[in-house]
Amino acid sequence: MVQSKKQKYMFLAFCLVPTFILFAIFTLYPLFSGLYYSFFDWSGSSSNKTFIGFGNYIKLFNDAIIPNTIIHDYFLVVTKVIGIMVLAMFFAVALTQLKLKEAPFYRVIFFFPNIMSVVVIGILWMFIYNPSIGLVNSGLEFIGLESLAKPWLGDEKWALPSLVLPSVWAGIGLFMLMLIGGISNIDKSYYEAAEIDGATQWQQYWKVTVPLLWPQIKIAILYIVITTLNGSFVIVQVMTGGGPNNATHVMGSYLYQQAFVQFNFGYGATIGVMILVLSLLTVLILQFFMRREKVDY
Amino acid sequence: MKQLQKGRVWLLLTLMLALALVISACSSDDADSDSSSSSDGTDEPSDSTNDGTDGAISGDLEIQYFVGGYGDSWWKEVIADFKEANPDVNIVEHAGPNINEEMRSRWVSNDPPDVVYIDGAGSSETQMVEDGQLMNLTEWVKEIELEGGDKLIDSFIVAPASYDGDIYSLPLVFDTWGTWYDRALFDEKGYEVPTDFDSFMSSMEKIKEGEDIDPLVTSGQHPYYFMRGMLYPAFAAAGGEELLADLISGAEGAWSSDVTLETMKKVEEIQKAGFFDSGLGALNHTQSQMNFLLHDNAFVPVGFWLPNEMANDIPEGFDFGFIPSPMQDAGEPFAIVPDLRPLAIAENAENPEAAKAFVEFVFTREYAMSFSEHTGAIMNINGVDLTENENVPSYLTEANAMINDPEQVQIYEKPYPMSADLETPLGNALMSLMLGNMTAEQFVEEAEKAAAEYRSGL
Repeated sequence: MVQSKKQKYMFLAFCLVPTFILFAIFTLYPLFSGLYYSFFDWSGSSSNKTFIGFGNYIKLFNDAIIPNTIIHDYFLVVTKVIGIMVLAMFFAVALTQLKLKEAPFYRVIFFFPNIMSVVVIGILWMFIYNPSIGLVNSGLEFIGLESLAKPWLGDEKWALPSLVLPSVWAGIGLFMLMLIGGISNIDKSYYEAAEIDGATQWQQYWKVTVPLLWPQIKIAILYIVITTLNGSFVIVQVMTGGGPNNATHVMGSYLYQQAFVQFNFGYGATIGVMILVLSLLTVLILQFFMRREKVDY
Repeated sequence: MKQLQKGRVWLLLTLMLALALVISACSSDDADSDSSSSSDGTDEPSDSTNDGTDGAISGDLEIQYFVGGYGDSWWKEVIADFKEANPDVNIVEHAGPNINEEMRSRWVSNDPPDVVYIDGAGSSETQMVEDGQLMNLTEWVKEIELEGGDKLIDSFIVAPASYDGDIYSLPLVFDTWGTWYDRALFDEKGYEVPTDFDSFMSSMEKIKEGEDIDPLVTSGQHPYYFMRGMLYPAFAAAGGEELLADLISGAEGAWSSDVTLETMKKVEEIQKAGFFDSGLGALNHTQSQMNFLLHDNAFVPVGFWLPNEMANDIPEGFDFGFIPSPMQDAGEPFAIVPDLRPLAIAENAENPEAAKAFVEFVFTREYAMSFSEHTGAIMNINGVDLTENENVPSYLTEANAMINDPEQVQIYEKPYPMSADLETPLGNALMSLMLGNMTAEQFVEEAEKAAAEYRSGL
């Protein structure tokens, strides 16, 4: 079939224009309006706003809470990447290589948290961590370790680490499925060949599975990093509200507090710009470190 | 083949059309997309100006009111009565627990409702005044008279908040924070109801031993519960209205003053004695109130709305007892710092005449009485005798009697609510103090720093 040039461009326009319009409305416009508002002193609840140039940015650099929120965010990023990737990888390999009969059942079980709203997960885990009726403290008491029991979410030192568990728990399923997909695409003959050459299971895992699965691993890590930097807000907001004494504030929850609780919308927008810049930088750096030649056996 | 391609083009065209529809729907004026209901069932705000020829009011009157612990039955009654008295006015109600968030876009786009009741999360009277969103009522309020001929301005229990001498809102609900206990438990076990800080401590000590619980709970997620419920009265008792005003406005040296430090030492003392619930850092306000109802704790500082808010969860035999927070030294009267929920008119109200008529209509002793019946709280009008009314809960009549007895209770007024910009960092440091991670000295230092930052941002 021969297409005229005009038809081709028409077709391209049909495909691209709606996407671009949607992208412009839902991504570019909020992005630039966020940037715009970051130059204003604005409460976010009236039409009065004053242009203050870089005032909010100067405030950002002098705000003692900001460095902590960044540290908290990256603490969550690192612990979540390690926790989710190790466990998701383990379960994915176990469910595909160990030839378990109940594999489909486990797949459903592990994926289950992903179909729950993060808010529900947060509330559920608040009960698990509840100092008097929670599973964690009762469990510790049951095995005779009541000295370790503490008000997890109400402790300045332990509140942030306590948020890691629910975040990891909520994240495993999706990445496990992603990795399972990748593993089942690997040709079985590689494993047979490796076995004939005398490779142990462990060697097969490192020399065959991981290299061939690298594209999926890379995407999974990037995805966890981005969603954590942009989305850890929800679990923090639901479970601790950033407290006690800012011990769990991440950039997103601090943005929310500034913009909607303290009525400093302009400053909130400035924090938003910071999140954008940091996310971009992080992703670029990760891309650089994780680039690898595509492996083909 | 050609036909197939034609089919594809049609499909794409249809998709484009659908997209265009979605986009146009998204970008349409959002002014009418909030949850509003009008008394005659229509949602369309039509002509909202009043003719003003014969002084009668007409047109649309939009009222925004937050529905929280007090419920909305009183509002429904008042609005229905107003509608009956002014049949030409079409009232559009914007109400609900999230109404402050839902109406935000209207305020931002300079298209506010006419009357607003300022209460609940996401609303701040101070912020609204700073943003110039409320009408200056200073002159007008002087003209309003109650049914007996009393001037309204002289009939408030607590006078309206004053911003450099100007009045922008009229305090409708007189709420006050205090400390709640279960009278049934106290009677049964013979625990002492505190009358000052010393007896508070000794009572908590006995309860800690007798019940094997941490006696005092509050919401760690919202430290302002403790701040407004315990600290404001404590500061007022120790330093009077002047200190309270200085602390709220973040005046230089107020937070690091000796009186403030002494008061914070009391908090430290409670913490060191282990009287605070050890898990309070993680509790939100409902959880802390639930713990109190379940006898996991014996005291909780909350406002008058507690019984109404927890109405569905009150265990059998539980008997609410209310005292002003006992933070004052022995021999001093209790201190109460009222917390007022005001009614205001928008600066850009489209129907200011109807708005004024409504506000005037609401402030009567009759509605004050029915307010107490509906909500278990007090409306900010004096001369309302609740004792004869059996529909009013007993804790309220008792508290009311106590509040009206200056030998027992001293009322201290705060100039205006503390700005969230100051309250948030203070609450954070307070939390640290209550968890035992900070001393009273460190707290006042942090607080002074927060006040300095707040002043520089003004």
